[in-house]
Amino acid sequence: MKLFDRLFRRKPAECMRVAEVLQAYLDGEVDAPTAAEVSAHLEACRDCGLEASAYEDLKVSLGRHQDPDPDALARLRSFVDELADKEQA
Amino acid sequence: MTAPETSAGDVDPDEKFQQYVVPELDVMYRVARSLTRNGADAEDLVQDTLVRAYRAIDRFDGRHPRAWLLTILRNAQINRVRRKRPELLDDPDATFERYAADDDESLAPEHVVVDPVFDAEVDDALAALPEKFRAVVELVDIGGKSYQEAADELGVPVGTVMSRLHRARRRMRDQLERAGFHRRA
Repeated sequence: MKLFDRLFRRKPAECMRVAEVLQAYLDGEVDAPTAAEVSAHLEACRDCGLEASAYEDLKVSLGRHQDPDPDALARLRSFVDELADKEQA
Repeated sequence: MTAPETSAGDVDPDEKFQQYVVPELDVMYRVARSLTRNGADAEDLVQDTLVRAYRAIDRFDGRHPRAWLLTILRNAQINRVRRKRPELLDDPDATFERYAADDDESLAPEHVVVDPVFDAEVDDALAALPEKFRAVVELVDIGGKSYQEAADELGVPVGTVMSRLHRARRRMRDQLERAGFHRRA
């Protein structure tokens, strides 16, 4: 980042452009030339690379998301209700 | 000389259990699912954890209940894996070899520590989103739909899908950072 941009906490123009399309890039919703441009910038710019990684972690984790089985949770709640009696018996 | 009782120590143990442990059941079960990769084992593991937590609740100071419970849960899981494979206890070299060669990844540190807990926090952050933000995340990130498909399903323009998605992710990221997950090198 250039000194002027650092002093005024401003992102360079290229970073701003990438930030605008970053989400669409991660979702595979940009055209090939844009994807290539963003990808090259993320390799070269540490700040934007970290920003992209944080959102990528989030997206990957959401892809693993499964709703917990409500029956299992109900059984665990009953287990908790009986636990005090069992432990004190 | 005895240490003065903390205020948390004065509370009835059953009340403490209800207050600190019960609200974390959902997260405990999610983490157990990731560690065991099997619903029945996950339930056993959470039950095991609940018994251990109940017996230790008088020594719990009331701070960071989730971290406290997940530590108990991970220890319980390590004991369960050892019980299933007693040879792990006998010979340290064999243990190391098994660890290194193990195709069951449940003992690998990144799986024990990072992923399940991160996933549980992400699920929590998702649940905390307002409904209209959560809907786009569920369609695009969980359901794998395109912006256009999500827009059609919700009856809103693609631009609205994009802006809601962006704001939803920003909120989730903020919550993850508050929970201590940073991407800072």
